[in-house]
This record gives sequence, C-alpha cells and structure tokens, in this order.
Amino acid sequence: MVYNKNIPPKLAKRLLHWFIRDDLAEEVLGDLEERFYQDKTEKSSFRARLNYWCQVLNYLRPFAIRKSTSFAAMNYGMYRSHLKIGYRNLLRHKWYSLITIGGLAVGMGICLTIFQYIHFELSYDNFHKNSRDTYRITIDKTQNGGNLINPFTTYGMGPGGKETIPEIRRYVRFLQAGIKVVTPNLDISEPFNEEFLIMHLVDTTFLDVFNFPLKLGNKESVFDEKFNIVITEKIAHKYFGTNNPIGKTLKLLGGGAVEEGNYKVSGLLENPPLNSHLQFDFLLSLENSYTDVTDSYKNREAWEQDLFVTYISIDGSADSKPIGKKLDQLIAEYRGSENISEKVVLQPITDIHLKSSALSGDIVTNKGSIRDVRIYFIVAISILIMAWVNYINLSTVRSIRRAKEVGVRKTIGAFRKQLIGQFMIESVLDHLIAATLSVVIASLALPVLSHILGKELTLSFLQIPIFWMWFFIIIVLGLLLSGLYPAFILSSFKPISMLGANSTGQVGNASLRRGLIVFQFLISLLLIAGTYLVYKQVTFMKNQELGIDMEKILVVKGPRINLGTDVKSIVPAFRTALARHSSISDIASSHSVPGKGYNGADFRKLGDPVSKNQHGRMVPASLNFPETYDLKFLAGSSFTEDISNRESYIIINEEAVRVFGLGTPEKAVGETLIRIKGIDVLRPYKVIGVVKNFNWNSLREKHMPYLFIFSPDEDNYFSFKVNLAHIQESLANIEKTYMSFFPGKAFDYFFLEDEFNDQYRAEVRFGKLFSAFGLLAIFIACIGLFSLVSFSVTFRKKEIGVRKVFGASIGSIMVLLFREFLLLLIIAIFLALPTILIGANSWLEQYAFRIGVGFDLFLFPAFVLALISLLTIGHQTYCSAKANPVDALKSE
Amino acid sequence: MKETRLGEFEEIILLLVGILEDGAYAFKIAEEFESQTGKSVSIGATHSTLDRLCKKGFLTSELGKPTAVRGGRRKRIYTISASGQEALTASKKLRISLWNQYPAFAKFAFIA
Repeated sequence: MVYNKNIPPKLAKRLLHWFIRDDLAEEVLGDLEERFYQDKTEKSSFRARLNYWCQVLNYLRPFAIRKSTSFAAMNYGMYRSHLKIGYRNLLRHKWYSLITIGGLAVGMGICLTIFQYIHFELSYDNFHKNSRDTYRITIDKTQNGGNLINPFTTYGMGPGGKETIPEIRRYVRFLQAGIKVVTPNLDISEPFNEEFLIMHLVDTTFLDVFNFPLKLGNKESVFDEKFNIVITEKIAHKYFGTNNPIGKTLKLLGGGAVEEGNYKVSGLLENPPLNSHLQFDFLLSLENSYTDVTDSYKNREAWEQDLFVTYISIDGSADSKPIGKKLDQLIAEYRGSENISEKVVLQPITDIHLKSSALSGDIVTNKGSIRDVRIYFIVAISILIMAWVNYINLSTVRSIRRAKEVGVRKTIGAFRKQLIGQFMIESVLDHLIAATLSVVIASLALPVLSHILGKELTLSFLQIPIFWMWFFIIIVLGLLLSGLYPAFILSSFKPISMLGANSTGQVGNASLRRGLIVFQFLISLLLIAGTYLVYKQVTFMKNQELGIDMEKILVVKGPRINLGTDVKSIVPAFRTALARHSSISDIASSHSVPGKGYNGADFRKLGDPVSKNQHGRMVPASLNFPETYDLKFLAGSSFTEDISNRESYIIINEEAVRVFGLGTPEKAVGETLIRIKGIDVLRPYKVIGVVKNFNWNSLREKHMPYLFIFSPDEDNYFSFKVNLAHIQESLANIEKTYMSFFPGKAFDYFFLEDEFNDQYRAEVRFGKLFSAFGLLAIFIACIGLFSLVSFSVTFRKKEIGVRKVFGASIGSIMVLLFREFLLLLIIAIFLALPTILIGANSWLEQYAFRIGVGFDLFLFPAFVLALISLLTIGHQTYCSAKANPVDALKSE
Repeated sequence: MKETRLGEFEEIILLLVGILEDGAYAFKIAEEFESQTGKSVSIGATHSTLDRLCKKGFLTSELGKPTAVRGGRRKRIYTISASGQEALTASKKLRISLWNQYPAFAKFAFIA
C-alpha cells in the first residue's frame, strides 16, 4: 500500500471521524494533527504515525464517542409510536391492507408449500444409514446402434462383484416375484387378488444394506427357510388385523419366480417410508427360492438372464468409478460378446428417485423427475418475487397518501434515518402478519398439493428445522428486497413539495414500477402458456388416432392362478361360451393389453447373422385379437382356427418389418423370424400378417416393433368388444359366465380407454399444478395492476378533469388510461415469446407424437391476460373518467 | 448532586490551564503536563478530564482562531471559572493547613 508518510494516517483519521462526537471532531483532529507534526519534527515519521494511532484509540472514551442517533432517537417510546401508527394505518385502509398483506401471504404460502414438496422429493432414500455408499448397478447396453439403460443385471453380478472386488462390502439382489393371489387364512378367508402388491425375492443382506426397521422377528434368521415370508405392517393389518402375524401361514398362488405353496410369516417390517424409492409389501428369500441357478456365480447360467436389480454397498473411502470399471471386466469375462457393449453405471441410491428417467425399465414405480422439481422451484421463486414486486408497487402507491405525514414529520425535525426506520417497522409489521398467514395458507394448500400429486405430504413440516430456516430466509429477504425501497422513497420526499398545494410530484421511479409490472405480466404469461401447452398436448394424445380401437373395449382380468394343463381347454371354452352373447361382438384373450406392457425379446430374420439381433416387443394373443382391436392389415391375414401349431405364427407391425429388414409388408408375409430365448435356444416364428403401426403405449413413445404371437389359451386378460348401450347386461353376463368357469376367483374388469388414458396422469397432474400456479400468478399480477392504476388515476385526476372540460369523452379518456397498460402488456408478450418458444419445444421433445408450436400458444395467454387486465382496471378507469371535472379542479 | 471535589490529576490540569492562559487547549495542556511532571499522558485522557472539569463548572471553554499547523481547524481554549478558582484555593488552603500542622515540616511553613 502506498501512503504518504508526512500526513497523519488516513485510516486512523477515518476511524476517529466514525466514532467521535460531531461537535468534538474539529478540535480533536486539530489537536492530534498538531501533535503529529510536532512528533514528526522531533522523532521519526513512523513514531509520529504510531503515536497518532495511539492517540486516536485513546479517544475511545465515553465522553467523546458519538451517541448513535438512531439509538438515541428511536427509543422505546418511539418504537411504540411507530408500531401504533403502523397498526392504525393498517386498520384505516382495510382494503388496501388486505390486498397488500394478502398478496404477500399468498405468495409466501405457495412458495413454502412448493419448497415443502421439493424438500420431500429431494429427501428420497436419505434415511438409510449408508445412503452415501449405497449404489444400484445399472447397465448401459449398446447393441446394433440401439442403446438401452436399465437396472436389470444377472444373478452372478452381485456375488461375483463382492468376491472379486474388495471395496464392495455387501450386495443385495431383488427379483420380482409375480405372485398374484394370496390366501391369508386357509380355512375361512377368500383369496385376495394381489397382482398390484409388490413382492420381491431378496438376499438375506437386505436388512444390512438398507435401514428398514424390523418390528417383529429375528433379524438374523427371517430369511433362513425357503417358505419364510416377511410382510409389512400394512399387509399384516390387512390380513390379520391387530393379531400378531408371526408364525401365521399365507398361501401364495400365481407362479412367477416363486414356488406356489404355504409360507410362514417370519418377520414384520415397518411400512417403507414414503420417501423410499423401494416400496414393497412382501419379501421372500432369494437364495432359497430361486433355483434356476444352483451353483456359484462362476456358473455360466448365472450370467444369462437380466432379471435382478442389484444394490451394492461399498467401502466409505472408496470411489465408485473404478468399481464400475472392475464390474465391466467381470461382465466381459463371463458374458462378453462382440456385438453387445455393456457398461456398468453405478447409480447412487439417493439419485434413483429423481434421476432415473433415462432407464428403459425399472422395478420402481411412481418415479420423480428432477426436471419437474426444477420447474416447480423456478415457479415458486417467480411467484414469491411477484408477491414482493407487488408489495413494492403497493407500498410506493401508498406513499402518496403518506406524503403529507412525511412532510409534517420532516418539518418538525425528523431525520431521514428515523423515517426509514418508521417505514421499515411498518414493513416488518406487514411481513410478519403475512408470514403468519402464509403458514396457515401452506397448511391448507399442502393437502391440495398432495392430492394433485398423489403423494402423501404430511403437515409435519412445521417440525422440520429446514422449513423454519426457509421461512426465516423468505421473511428477511422479503424485507430487504421489498421493504427497503418504499422506505427510502417515502423518506426522500421534500417537505416543501409535499406540503405545498400542488403535491403532484412523481413518486419514486416510474420506469422501475413499470418494469416490475412487465415482469409480473411476463411470469403470468409464461404460466398461462404452460398450462395451455400441457392441456393441448394431453388433449392431443387422448384424441390421437392410435391405430387400435379402444373405445368399446371392456377388459376382464383373468383368474391369475396356475390353471395347469386345464388351461388349454378352459380358456377357449370360456371365450366360446361368451361369444354367443349378442351384446358382445368380439372377444379375445392375450397376455397383455394396450397400456399394460409387453415382453421384450431379441429377434432376427432367418438367415441373418447373430449380429443382426434386434429388440422386439412380444405380446402373446389369441384368435380374434386383431379383429377385437381393429388392427388394419396391410398384408397377409389374421390368425385362423385351423392353425394347429401353437406359438409358431406371428402377426407383426410395419415397424417390425423395417427393424428386422423384411422389406415390404407383402414380402414380409411368409418370412421367418428367430427369437433368441437363451444363449443356445432359438425359436422360429412364421409371419402370417402385417398390420399398420399403432400406439400400444403412451404417445411419449415412438412406434416400436410389435409381434403378436399366436397363443390360443392366454388367460391374463380377456378383451371384449361390447355394445356400450347394453353395458350392464353384458357385464352381468360376463360375470356369470366367468364365475361358472373360474369359481371362487375375483372378478375384476376395466374399460380400456380409461386405463390407457391413465398413462397421462403425470401430464394431467402437471397441467393442474400449472393452472393453479397460473391462477395465483394472475391473481397477484392483478393486484399489482390494480395498484398501479389507482396510482396513475390519482395522479392524473387533474389532467382528466382538464381534458373533460375541453370536451374529451369518457371513452377517449378510458382509452388514454388503458393505453399505458396495454403497452406494458405488449412488451411482456414480446419478452415472453422466446421463452415460450424454447420452453415449449424442449418440453414437447419427450413426446414422440406431439403438437406443433403455433401462434395460439402466444395469442391465447396474451388474450387471457389482456382480458383479465382490462376487467381489473376497467372499473377504476371508468369511475375516474366519469367523475365530474369540477371535483378534480376545484380543490386548488 | 454535582460532584465538586478535585482529584489530583484534575487539580494539576486545572493549574496548567491557569498557567497556560490563552494557550490552554488540550494538546498544549497534555504537552505541558508531560514536560512539567515527566509523565506521559494522552491527549484523549487530558481532553476527557477537561470535559469533566467543564461539566463540574470549574472551567469554561470557547473555540479559538484557526491556525495553519492544525490544518485550519480551530482549537478549544479553556479558562478557569470563578468556582474553579475557588476550588483551587480551597484545595491549596487545606494542604497548607495540613502542612503547618505537621511538626517535622514546621520550618518549611508557608504563610497562607
């Protein structure tokens, strides 16, 4: 630092200035300076400077220190007076206060609610003690240019990894059990159709890797026996009420990976927390039940089927990247293939909930999306800022009313600082009331939000410290951002202009206020556009021609038990029995129905090399299936009754023709596709028909290769094309026949179109939330607009009066007043354009079938906002335009 | 109740104010104190005492003329007030009376 040695140290001087009483400053500085120059002549300049510092510090004495003006002036009585005046002002302008505080409270409340939701979404799987060191193995698989990421690995992956990689401490594998019917009490109770409950086969390490507390049962031995089953409290309550479930017997039917039979309840788990990505109802022992692979992981069979979801917990100090590499080597060693590249990606357990959207399959349902969380966060912040902006605008408008008061206060001798203090106190008052209300609003809004989201967010957020932290931050930030500006504006008035007769000076910075209104318009426009976009896309998807006729389809779930060899006769007989009924025009049975999944398998054209294997989607279906669903044939024909050779004939779609390289639909008929079942097992299928492309799943997905395999006795789903006019009659008939064929089994049915559209639940939910936020944003923006209009109208009262005297009509004056706001709206629209364009396109990208981004996307929100704005300000402008000019002009 | 006693330091400062007459301002007084007593004192401490003596009514003060060496700043000149004069006299009397009553020092007796 460069400094002049010959003058007293500046910093010391500044320090002295800062603390010394104003009336002493001159003489003291003089004395010290005199001393300094004397020292400098007698001693070194360094000593002089040092001494100066000492002298300055020596002035830190009670008599010399400045009494802080705010401290001195704003004593208790003054604070009380400010509070009292603030309170009186609140009561005096009830409507105004309601609007100010209400807007603020709504903004803060919504923000808190959304934060609560975000907090919940981000808290997934944090409750596991080792959540930082627990990973899920996902496989990034590239084959013939196609790329899939999924969490399914082989049987050998877990044990192989643990054995060869020392950093892997534990592993636990999950296998979906596929049990469909559970009978809790063998003697008396009815079977439960539980195909939607979740049953997993797991390794015994399950309870070590995860923190799911065991309520009853021995932690060491719950999975010891093959016929042991662990259930959750929810299930225990459903089956056994309040009785102790340990030792009770459950009969499981319905096949899958689990042997049917009687299982003994060996453990009771607490229900998995809501913020756990793993949700389950039953757990069975994997080692004991899964018998397809008998030996160690080195066995070749252990690396064949990708069925298992494997979690590993690694050493706390280890890095996950090298472990992934080592697992890659393991795959290469045991199932390496030239055509397929498989890379292990270790996914932290805390990422699974929000960052799994790239996965093509999963055992996790109800996944979250980090993108949605981000959007909600931005929306929350925008709404909060809108509320603050409003507060700023309204407070500045209020200042006109308080101008005289400020003038009088200043004349009497109030300092500016005191006035700022006073108006800050009023802001604090407003903010505190709003904050209190916002907690109430948040408590009311949370159940609504959880209803829309289908998640049970609880009200316990009041107990979470982080909530209060947010709450505090919002209040303080709000005060700083929205309280300071009006306080400065108010206190800056010149008393003379405020007390003079023509106190029409401009208050504050008008362009800032307009800018803030433009900002509010902008946010409102974006939210309206978002709502409109989601609504349009969902409507489009629901009305899109799918290539499958679903309108009249009633689907009855099959009995979901293993019918054994009887299935070959019972299923066709059941169909025949119902086909006779007049209200049913078509009937088919299949393994799956649209919107309910498919079986993935690899196929290639007969004669092609192995490297040409491609993934296809396989749906075993019976006679009449294409007719029931109105699939349009391009070539070949449908299944016929004289096909005797089971599971050897297929009907494929155009996409399959393309993917497997069969040329044209006409050429494809008669070709043979080979399905790769295991490593050495191949199965040929002859193509007998080609149908037009259709959408089996939601329109998010592009057309995929589908293959309907002829299988006459599928009993998973029965599809009926019915006459909707006689639906009751048909239903009764179907139920009666069903019961006679499958006595004692649950009769479940649904209308396909409803189920199918259920796939768009996420979009509908998103749309609902957006419209709710949009409404709130518009509400807050309207308040802002209202305030600005009342402001402008008050200021231009005289102008309007003069104009009227000179003959202006009510209409022309209204146009004059509207013009200003329309201009702001137009600016907002232009600013919103690029954001809407980019946002809409990136959102629509996830849909293979999507609407185009048209002009209506801008025009609709603009029109809505313009209409609402005009309604908001219409009354006020009309009143002021109609007012008698005499009233406006006589006051001077 | 107004404090009217004189402490030792106060008394010396008061006397110095009297000695320096027109040149009695904080810096000079502190300097004079140092040269007369050989003890060092900060201007702040001196100033604080002067301030206290003013409050007790023993001193009056007014701002003097600006001088160049002070960067054109004025100085506060202190003058002993009547009651200051009185307090000094009372203090002196007390001491003399005490001195005179001390036999060993009788030969040094002062005449009041």
